[in-house]
Amino acid sequence: MKIPGDFLFYLSMHRECNERLLVRAKEIPENDLEVSLDRDDIRIKKMVRDVLGEVHRMRAFVRLSTCCDLVLFGYLKPRHRIAEYICDHLARRNAGIIVVLGNGSESWACLCRGSRVWRDHGSGLNQTLERLKAALPDDAVACKPGPDPETLWQAYYDSQYCPERKNLLAYHKNMPRRDQEAAGLRLVQNKKNVTLDDFFVSSLSSAGEHNES
Amino acid sequence: MVTLEKMAHLAEESRFDSLGLAAGVDERKLIALGKGTSHDVCASTYSPRDTPLPGICHAFTQDGRCVSLFKTLFTNRCSHQCSYCTNASSCSSKPQAFSYTPEELARITLTLYRGNYIEGLFLSSGAGRDEDRIMEKIVETARLLRSKHSFSGYIHLKVLPGASQAHIQEAMLLADRVSINLEAPSASRLGDICSTKSYESDIVQRQRYISRFMHDLRAEAGGRSRVLPAGQTTQLVVGAAGESDEEIFQSVLYEYREIGVKRAYYSAFSPQQKTSFECRPAQPLWREHRLYQMDWLYRVYHFHESEIRQAFSDSGFLANADPKMAIAREHLDQPVDPNAASYQELLRVPGIGPKSAERIIAYRKRQPLAAKSQLAAMGVRIKRAAPFLKINGWRDTTLLMWQA
Repeated sequence: MKIPGDFLFYLSMHRECNERLLVRAKEIPENDLEVSLDRDDIRIKKMVRDVLGEVHRMRAFVRLSTCCDLVLFGYLKPRHRIAEYICDHLARRNAGIIVVLGNGSESWACLCRGSRVWRDHGSGLNQTLERLKAALPDDAVACKPGPDPETLWQAYYDSQYCPERKNLLAYHKNMPRRDQEAAGLRLVQNKKNVTLDDFFVSSLSSAGEHNES
Repeated sequence: MVTLEKMAHLAEESRFDSLGLAAGVDERKLIALGKGTSHDVCASTYSPRDTPLPGICHAFTQDGRCVSLFKTLFTNRCSHQCSYCTNASSCSSKPQAFSYTPEELARITLTLYRGNYIEGLFLSSGAGRDEDRIMEKIVETARLLRSKHSFSGYIHLKVLPGASQAHIQEAMLLADRVSINLEAPSASRLGDICSTKSYESDIVQRQRYISRFMHDLRAEAGGRSRVLPAGQTTQLVVGAAGESDEEIFQSVLYEYREIGVKRAYYSAFSPQQKTSFECRPAQPLWREHRLYQMDWLYRVYHFHESEIRQAFSDSGFLANADPKMAIAREHLDQPVDPNAASYQELLRVPGIGPKSAERIIAYRKRQPLAAKSQLAAMGVRIKRAAPFLKINGWRDTTLLMWQA
């Protein structure tokens, strides 16, 4: 993974980033970080990559549900301070709709309209959604009936699996359980085809993740 | 920071007619038409548009493959007789026939896109009774998404073999990428697996047309044209007609040089029940993997054609081993000094890729490399690279040196 020019922005989102590290990182010329073998620089590089990796996976794995025509919400509990950034990304993708991400203790809301962006950071996801519902007119809150996108998705997802290509190691490597949990993703593994092998591979990969952290 | 109440007021002000979610979708249809594309390998969503769409995988299947697009057939009715396909008219037990309507397909796509399940649509189809009619519906779906619903996600449209130029042109103006599957490396091989398609007129001629039209539009716009930003691609079924890897390489070279495809995809043949090829042996997945490695060497590492040919056996097949290593064994007589080698020379060392080669060159401008550990820190895979390197005048002992 290439270190981007604005690596300070990503470094600042790391959960262990502090003032001292940011000051040290500011001294490193942009192109040097990629090739530097200095111990501090290697640590900074690793921290930036950790954040970039989590940003990439959360952009992909967070799922949005419809609260009403004007609000989309999803679960997010990241390890690094990336929630606001992810919320911005999803709000830009759904212009004119308020996107709320959060968990039991905090939430982030964002609305993009044209080139303008409004943000809010507050208490738990449920409280924020309640406040939004109260602030919206009744006809906007009334949700039109429709099938659960999750049902559509699960049917489609199951259809894409080729049993002759089964490769659980690649699956667990690409969809780490830790990141699935951070995005509140229900494990999307096709339960109809689960075997004893799945259990062993899944336990092995979980053990690997614990060792890493 | 603003209050949530203000945000709610602003959203209410900009309220537009709801898209409406996909309603009453038959789950059996979703599964049957989704299954029809499970062997289509392209899952790329990268598109260099005004606002570049990044490549992203929203999920992975249990086979480790990326699911980033809503990949589906428009219909599974097909008049072609491809011997490996379950939707072929020659298949003895065809699945129940299903079709979407353009509006229905557009709504499913939008519902999944809004929920952040997908990055866009990959739309293929059986030929139905008339490929032009189906192509028209495919184009109509894309038009609905782009014009009526202002969809800004990624769209990859399959051009059906034999489709008219007018439909191809429309598809190109709406999609990020179009593709026509080559399926086999030559006309005679295609004849072995499908008696109803003409390799030259139904497939290659259409590819040439896409290439020419894209070129004309870009020339007209002086290079600023955003038509088909992710280009055209193709896909081959590996081993269905008994072709060798070298035959595949030869046809892919033609595709890259003459047609200008962005990428070729390979799908190892796997026999499907009740098809004419049910009894043919499945091709090992490693064959597909080795072909991708060979493709990578040509496309990304810019290895010369003659170098790549060294990796093929006399019978024209790749061994189940890294082709780059086989080529290095043939070509690298002398160890490479990372402090003096050019970018191209570094790239020819197994374990050194484009990024690590760039890093080595950037690092040695400041100070010379003195140890293998420095190379390892730059991403070089030392175990593979060490036998081909000489650092500070020192090189690893190899079995060949002992033999000498």
